[in-house]
Amino acid sequence: MILALIAIAALLLPLPFLGVAPNRLLPGEGVSALDAAGFWVAVPVVLLALGAWRRLPGWAGAAAAALGVVAVLGLAGAAANDRLADLAPAARASFGAGFWVAIVAGLSLVAMRGAWMGLAVAVGAAVLWAMGGLDRLSLVVEATARADALQSAIWTHLALAGAALALALLVAVPLAWAGFRRPRLGAVMGAALSGVQVVPAIALFALLIPLLAALLRAVPALRDLGLGAVGWLPAVLATAAYLALPLWRSLSGGLASADPAAVQAAEAMGMTEGRILAEVRLPLALPVFAGGLRVAVVQAIGLVTLGGLVGAGGLGAVVFEGLSQFATDLMLLGALPILLLALAADTLARAAENRLARPA
Amino acid sequence: MIAQPVIAIEGVTVRFGTTDALRDVTLHVKAGEFCALVGPSGSGKSTLMRLVNRLVVPSAGQVRVRGQDVATLPAPALRRSIGYAMQSVGLFPHRTVAENIGTVPRLLGWDAPRIARRVEELLALLRLDPAMGVRLPRALSGGQAQRVGIARALAADPDILLMDEPFGAVDPITRRELRAETRRIHAETGKTILLVTHDPEEALELASHVVVLRDGRIEADGAPADLVAPDAAPFVRELLGGGQPGLRWLSLLPARGALDPRPAPVGAAMLARNASLADALSVLAESGDEALGMEGEKGSVRAEGILGARR
Ligand SMILES: Nc1ncnc2c1ncn2[C@@H]1O[C@H](COP(=O)(O)OP(=O)(O)OP(=O)(O)O)[C@@H](O)[C@H]1O
Ligand SMILES: [Mg+2]
Repeated sequence: MILALIAIAALLLPLPFLGVAPNRLLPGEGVSALDAAGFWVAVPVVLLALGAWRRLPGWAGAAAAALGVVAVLGLAGAAANDRLADLAPAARASFGAGFWVAIVAGLSLVAMRGAWMGLAVAVGAAVLWAMGGLDRLSLVVEATARADALQSAIWTHLALAGAALALALLVAVPLAWAGFRRPRLGAVMGAALSGVQVVPAIALFALLIPLLAALLRAVPALRDLGLGAVGWLPAVLATAAYLALPLWRSLSGGLASADPAAVQAAEAMGMTEGRILAEVRLPLALPVFAGGLRVAVVQAIGLVTLGGLVGAGGLGAVVFEGLSQFATDLMLLGALPILLLALAADTLARAAENRLARPA
Repeated sequence: MIAQPVIAIEGVTVRFGTTDALRDVTLHVKAGEFCALVGPSGSGKSTLMRLVNRLVVPSAGQVRVRGQDVATLPAPALRRSIGYAMQSVGLFPHRTVAENIGTVPRLLGWDAPRIARRVEELLALLRLDPAMGVRLPRALSGGQAQRVGIARALAADPDILLMDEPFGAVDPITRRELRAETRRIHAETGKTILLVTHDPEEALELASHVVVLRDGRIEADGAPADLVAPDAAPFVRELLGGGQPGLRWLSLLPARGALDPRPAPVGAAMLARNASLADALSVLAESGDEALGMEGEKGSVRAEGILGARR
């Protein structure tokens, strides 16, 4: 209810909905939603109000809110097409505060009433984009101009996150097993891995560069393997160091969570230690481990962004390029896909987790 | 040739940290014997039982199963050859009832159809609905879970069966049925059974050999009737006697042993041939007769004969 009010207020009040500037470096002039779209503002306003209406069942409310969000986006796109029609091609239309407030409040409303309708928002946005409805928005202009670079940044980003996750698993799995067999060792590991979390991420990324440089000087043969003090190596190492804790903790917790009577029964039935692990301990640990894995995946996608600072590329590089140029659209171009990837990973992992939680 | 005991525990002490769960315990169980372990909580019954499949390792002494020192046998093979129904049941929560029951056969490499047939047999034997096979343990009542635990112990048809308070959570009627079922399994298969129970009646009724434990030591070891006889140790009589050790003793002695050569009066109540002295006393009390007859016997059973058991 309050979310819908906020979104509607953002559309009706004289807040800058769109900023129109002669080129991408000059500051723009704010245009409110009413000025930009006239009575068409009523479309998203009505849809968002319907989205908050309690009488509607959840799915219908979520659908109305989702359509409302798409309508806000469409309005912005149409207004940009309209306002820039007589201006030079260098002119830009970027999103203003009113737009952001309306979009964020609208999306929150969707999430509240039926999160899976988020998919409808994505489809609606894609349709608008495909039909050219968003073409003059600065963000879209930027994305089109950099489509290839952006695509390769996304793949690099995913590869970095995947590598960090694999490395963290490679470390966390044996550590968790060792700590499980020797609880005192486990306590030491817990302390060490938690210690890593205390180091600010940026500091750890930066710290790795001189450390790796020293290592490479000491063992030049490593250079021949394609390892470098800057680039993907510090990004993967630092991210993996952070991921190790959630993975290790959930694995240890999962292993410890197995019903002792079931483990004892397995032993009494004549299972060997390996079989007990494979048939009893791991299956019983899986639901707990899945939670840790989900956290780690989402963290990996976020943390790898800092790889942009150490020359690893990925979406982080796009974000930091935007930051250094004060180019908001460029920043968004890097940040939005990170957000979407993290959300998608979280949703998928959560679904998998729920399936694991109630087998057969 | 002297028959080898199938389970031989020789001078075993089990120490957990500073406490001794068992102290210098010696126990022999012959093949085909039904042996009940009784004793107060914490007296070492479960520990004694777990020596047999090497879940507990003696601090001193030796455990032999089928003539072989268990310390020299590979533990998994030993355990697969011995059925064990645990006190805590310990069903695998992520496996169905059928999968739980089929555990040991699967470990032994039986093929799937044979396991399925066996599971079906066992569900029927333990009076569990065949449709229950697909359920997960959390969907079972406590008593049903215990029965699945017993079925799992029986699955590979082991010649030695360890049962640690297997009927604790079932209702009295099912409990009686399961008791009868256990007796039948024992009679038909000649398995060696070691049973822990807190119910003295159950121990005396089922077992041919009762072992009383107290503070990790064997307090008494013998035939049921001897352990409640008037000359047995007071602790044992109290533990097993259920407040009326005399009556319980009579219930373990056959009425046939008190037959009197005098014939029974015409029209006197008749006892079955396997009646106990307690049964005879009960019929006497009810009928008010002086003497009872016995099917297929000429003599009679009289009050003075029953009460003369002591002599
Ligand atoms: N794994 C263990 N570690 C330490 N102490 C143990 C262990 N297992 C048993 N004990 C101790 O050994 C003693 C005997 O235990 P046991 O389980 O054999 O008793 P029990 O006769 O089966 O009792 P209950 O009737 O309550 O099941 C108890 O004092 C118990 O606390
Ligand atoms: Mg016990």
